Amino acid sequence: MNPFIEIITQPDNIAIVIMIFMVSFFMVWAFQQAFHNDRLLAAGLPVDGENDKFVDTFKPLVRIELIIALVVMVGLTVWSILVDAPLEEIANPTLTPNPAKAPWYFLGLQELLVYFDPWLAGVVLPSLIVVGLIAIPYIDINPKGNGYYTFAERKWSIIIFSFGFFVLWLLLIVIGVFFRGPGWLWYWPWQEWDHARVVFEPFRDLSSVVGVDSRSMAGFIIGAVVTGAYLIGGMVAPYMYWKKNHPEFLTKLGMIRYITIVFLFINMMSIPIKMVLRLVFLIKYVWITPWFSI
Amino acid sequence: MANENKNNSSLRVYLFVFFSVVLLALSVWVVWDDEFGLRPWKKYQEDYKTLKHDKLERDYKKAVVEFERSGGHKKLAELEAKLDKAEAAFQSKETQEKYARLNKQLDAAHEALTVTQKELRNLRGQFLETEYYFTKTQLPEYKAKMDVLQRQIDSVGLRVAAQQKIEDSFKESLSIVTAPKAAIQGEIEKMKNPLEEAKEKIAKNEKVSVEIKQIHIPDIDKADRCQSCHIGIDAKSSVSSVQPFTKHPLSVIYLEKHDPNKFGCTFCHRGQGRATTTAEKAHGNIKHWDEPMLSGDMTQTSCLNCHGDIKGLRGAEKIIKSTELIKKYGCYSCHKIPGYETVGDVGPILTEVGTKVNYSWEVKWLMDPKSYSSISRMPKFYFTQDQAESIADYLFSMTGTTRHDIDNTKTKPDAKLVEAGKALWAQSRCNLCHVTGGRGGNNVKVYAPELSKVGGKVNKEWLFKWIKNPNAYNPGTKMPRFRFTDEEINSLVAFITTEYQDEDMEYKYVQPVEIKPASIAKGKELVQKYGCYGCHKMLGMEDMVQVAPSLKKQGVTFLRNAEMREKIGMELSSIGSKPVDMLDFGKMKKSISNDRLTYIKQKLRDPRGYRLGLRMPNFRLAESEINELASVLYGFTDANVPTRFLVPSRQELDRMAGVSSYKFTGDFAKVIADVKCTNCHMIRGIGADYAPDLSFAGSKLQESWIRNFLANPDVIRPLLQQMPKFGLTSGKPLAKVTMPRFNLGKQKVEDTNKTDVDVVINFFQQELLSSDIPKDIPKITSLTLPEQITKGKQLYDLKGCKACHQIGTDGGALGPNLTNVGNRLNPGFIFKHLENARKFKQDIVEPNYGFTETERIYLTNFLMTLKLNTK
Amino acid sequence: MKSLPEITDKVKKNLIWKSIFRRDYRNTVRDRAQAVFGNVFLHLHPVQVRESAVKLRFTWGMGGITFFAFIILVITGVVLMFYYHPSIEQAYTDIKDLEYQVPYGVILRNLHRWGAHFMVIVVMIHMFRVFMTGSYKAPRQFNWGVGVILLVLTFLLSFTGYLTPWDQLGFWAITVGTNMGAATPFLGYQGPFSEFLHITPFNDVRFALLGGALVGGNALLRSYIWHCVAIPLVATILMMVHFWRVRKDGGISKPQK
Repeated sequence: MNPFIEIITQPDNIAIVIMIFMVSFFMVWAFQQAFHNDRLLAAGLPVDGENDKFVDTFKPLVRIELIIALVVMVGLTVWSILVDAPLEEIANPTLTPNPAKAPWYFLGLQELLVYFDPWLAGVVLPSLIVVGLIAIPYIDINPKGNGYYTFAERKWSIIIFSFGFFVLWLLLIVIGVFFRGPGWLWYWPWQEWDHARVVFEPFRDLSSVVGVDSRSMAGFIIGAVVTGAYLIGGMVAPYMYWKKNHPEFLTKLGMIRYITIVFLFINMMSIPIKMVLRLVFLIKYVWITPWFSI
Repeated sequence: MANENKNNSSLRVYLFVFFSVVLLALSVWVVWDDEFGLRPWKKYQEDYKTLKHDKLERDYKKAVVEFERSGGHKKLAELEAKLDKAEAAFQSKETQEKYARLNKQLDAAHEALTVTQKELRNLRGQFLETEYYFTKTQLPEYKAKMDVLQRQIDSVGLRVAAQQKIEDSFKESLSIVTAPKAAIQGEIEKMKNPLEEAKEKIAKNEKVSVEIKQIHIPDIDKADRCQSCHIGIDAKSSVSSVQPFTKHPLSVIYLEKHDPNKFGCTFCHRGQGRATTTAEKAHGNIKHWDEPMLSGDMTQTSCLNCHGDIKGLRGAEKIIKSTELIKKYGCYSCHKIPGYETVGDVGPILTEVGTKVNYSWEVKWLMDPKSYSSISRMPKFYFTQDQAESIADYLFSMTGTTRHDIDNTKTKPDAKLVEAGKALWAQSRCNLCHVTGGRGGNNVKVYAPELSKVGGKVNKEWLFKWIKNPNAYNPGTKMPRFRFTDEEINSLVAFITTEYQDEDMEYKYVQPVEIKPASIAKGKELVQKYGCYGCHKMLGMEDMVQVAPSLKKQGVTFLRNAEMREKIGMELSSIGSKPVDMLDFGKMKKSISNDRLTYIKQKLRDPRGYRLGLRMPNFRLAESEINELASVLYGFTDANVPTRFLVPSRQELDRMAGVSSYKFTGDFAKVIADVKCTNCHMIRGIGADYAPDLSFAGSKLQESWIRNFLANPDVIRPLLQQMPKFGLTSGKPLAKVTMPRFNLGKQKVEDTNKTDVDVVINFFQQELLSSDIPKDIPKITSLTLPEQITKGKQLYDLKGCKACHQIGTDGGALGPNLTNVGNRLNPGFIFKHLENARKFKQDIVEPNYGFTETERIYLTNFLMTLKLNTK
Repeated sequence: MKSLPEITDKVKKNLIWKSIFRRDYRNTVRDRAQAVFGNVFLHLHPVQVRESAVKLRFTWGMGGITFFAFIILVITGVVLMFYYHPSIEQAYTDIKDLEYQVPYGVILRNLHRWGAHFMVIVVMIHMFRVFMTGSYKAPRQFNWGVGVILLVLTFLLSFTGYLTPWDQLGFWAITVGTNMGAATPFLGYQGPFSEFLHITPFNDVRFALLGGALVGGNALLRSYIWHCVAIPLVATILMMVHFWRVRKDGGISKPQK
């Protein structure tokens, strides 16, 4: 069978295909409504739903709920009749499948393992994601765009969230499911998996680029300086920018909020930065310490 | 706005109704699927029922036909007429009165008996109660009461017995009155019975319910539901030849010895016993199930799970035959295979091969053994010329410093000598083991090398030494030491090297060429990489000192003993249950089916096909051999076998019982080591089944005959099974030589002053005895010996013995010739043999005639008179 | 012969009918309101909602669908529990028998498996919608936090259910997943700084998760209990809070400028 068809028709992967379609659909729908509202706002008109009347819950809402429940039930039943849940061989601790994949919704994190050590990819970053998500309402002080779709009124928050949600979360899941094969090597979906394939990647560490052994004291210092510069620079630079251009915004934000936002943001951006370092410049670690490596 | 709302609302109602209907339809689908779609066995069971019904229907019709054929109707009519008559007699006034009277009396008697019996029951109840109180309190008053009750019970018991007798007598009287009628009724019943039975079976079949059939065996975690579809698998006869309705083939062996309720199905057949939804799933031919079902002969591979020793196991014929291949090709040499740890090397010793063969031959052989001999077992390693030369250099450097050839065609030996050699060749029956020109090699288990081109391979000097004493060159060899004189050996050597020349042989090193140390080192690497020492003994450095002391100076290094100990192949002890994911299909992943059996077969077919860098050589097996070997390998599993299934081998049983397995000892061991009798004969479980089993030869054979036979092996069996003449004594060879003439008796056995024939006879008479075989047969005094002999002769003719046995020139050739049996066998053996021929030889064709003891005595006495005067 | 209205009238006057429905429904405003707050299931809703809430395009119904998926999973899950033993000897064959032996076992398991995938997808889209409409903004900040925790609980529910069939897929997914625990800084034996706390494979986070140093019988039992008891319980409580706060924070969010 064609490897592409084979991989997308694997019972568990059907869910991912469904997810891709559903997410794409709702993404388009959301932005369509956002742009629609933006046009209304620009024209000074009320946005959708602003002048809503009240209707009885019984029966319009109850009815639509029942219909949705029926549709969901029908969809799930058809899915369940047509596709059988897989059951692989009985667990065998001596036989490691290659690749051994985590459940699909965690494949984004497993993908991060390529770029970060497990303590970062598996523990620190997921914790930051959860904390960051919970923090969103408290750090987003933009009063606009509350209760309606809009893009123009909250450009930055939507861009940053969408980047995190679609690229760093869903795209990495899709990559993990469809593009990662034995040895966690990259395979196009139409490529045959080859368990014996060997790919040599001449990785180096950041300081070795300038000719310093990354495990030496000098390398340690270079790594510490670069990492420190990213962290401190990342914390300070926006402050300088806003101070100069929008001091009133900074005042409104307050120091605690500012630190939280920028800290979360630079952590989030460390993921694409590390990916680029790794994929483009073949740099494995930026900073190696006796206890951990970044 | 309101309008829109209304539209919306009615649309929603429609949607609601629509999806409700869809969901309802889906529910129906789910129900249907669960009732029928996923339960194919229901239909199979229904179909089976129909098929069985048809069969029972046929049986019933057959019974009806049989009934009519035997005039059943007429007989029935007669019987019914008789019954009417008897009925009329019974209905006569007189009889009826008697009948009524007797009935009344019986009722009265029964009534009385019932009352008394009730009284007895009450008394017993009271007694038990009293007894309870007595055991609890130990008060004497209870004891007293018990005694009273016991007396009452005894007396009432007597009354009951008496009344019972009265009742019985009335019953008997009644039965006499009704007897004539009952007898006829019984006869009618009996006639109708087969028909009724057949009908009953049909009715019973109708009542069989359709349900999952399951065998659950907790200790091997099996729940086999195979019988849900294979519903008639344990039936006595098939109702159809179509799967899944057939019965189990050869169920006499397979099912009766392995009760399905104890073994289940999948223990032998594998597959997924729990699955019921499709045949593919149940047969395990699906992804994520590593154990596809075994069917047909392939199933015999499962015998290996439990049977430690499959030798002679009925129903395991295929796997027994296949297992021979492991020994033939010596798989255990490179791979660890349990049970084969002590089997010897398959290849000859190579330590001094430089003194044996031509260098050019060695190189050619290494590159392609089959180019020299099409029946060679040595596999092809795909060596290049360079590599082959390096290995040859390494081997030759053990005994010398040069590459050298000797061209035997250059010297023409004396024609007379060759002629004598030819005669000796024939009389020694060399062809029994060795193939030349496509002939010979009947004793297949010896795997003697083909000699068609041996003249181009070995040098004369070595050949002479070899024939003179094979053990000296290769202590493990199967080649016997014939007691030839040097002159005889010379003639044989002359014959072999002239007759069996190699036309294609190029002798490149008639002028010896010095071996380069670099090449030796490379050869050593190759020997180590490909593990030549797995099959060939090649002494290591520690043992090399005496063989080639001169070479140490040159700085040549050889493999050390420690380096030679490791098996280079993958362990095969559980290859038959290895997860498919662990098998590396490599380049073949797409081109062959990814299952274990295909993997094994392809590996055997093309051992280096999966990827580069594999080392296993190509044995160039026939497809049939591949299938056979694969079926054996498939049986090497780490299956969880409960001890109650295990059938230990004889060796294991002996070990458990503390009995050491049989070993030849004393002087006879020395003779065996020399003449290798067990190449052909089986003695106490050791050896081959090519020639007769000698385990009880001492009881069976007469001393003088053995002596004579060893000197001149005579025809006692058809030609194919004959023993070569080893020439054990100096007697003249007969025209038809059977066993090789080993020239025994000429020499004294080492450290003794006995001849080898004496040793053999001594051993036979001391050791190879059976306590079942008497020395002499019982005597009969009623007839004189000549009369008994005459009777025996009559029996011999009457039972048609001569259909198989020959006396003189008269008779068939299937059984042994009896012309000289009186000189050959002990009477006790003949006597016992006639009782049960299979006692001493399992697969004998001789029928069991069931002779009485007297008849056996007559026959024995007759046979003992058959003596050929050879003087 | 009585006409249909007569019969319905009779039924509606029946004591049992009255005891269940309390009052007749005549489609008056009062009755419509009564239908909502008189019903334990419907009274989660306000009596009247804004038009947008009735249209699909604002909410996409995603929160409701998530809840519905949860209900499906609870029902199928409870039935599956009847046929399942959380032990490594039995778990795998129990799942096999679900297909081969148990009536409606196939559809039950399929519904549970695909329902779980579906719920994960839907809950993510729900979060996306809430973000896109800015519905986390005041006064709904707290409820967004509850929602995030519910999202994590959904992942954990699915993750703990992965191991229960005791097959290769689940076994290695859990192995990979819990190996992350071993990398926790300070508390995982492979994580940074763990040596300062004398952390070994036998006292670290992963050991606590698995009930052992490797995935085995204890891990199976733990994941079973997390999956069937602990997490559903916590998730149910948080869902109650979530729904309650939706009502208390003003229902489905409306444009606030």
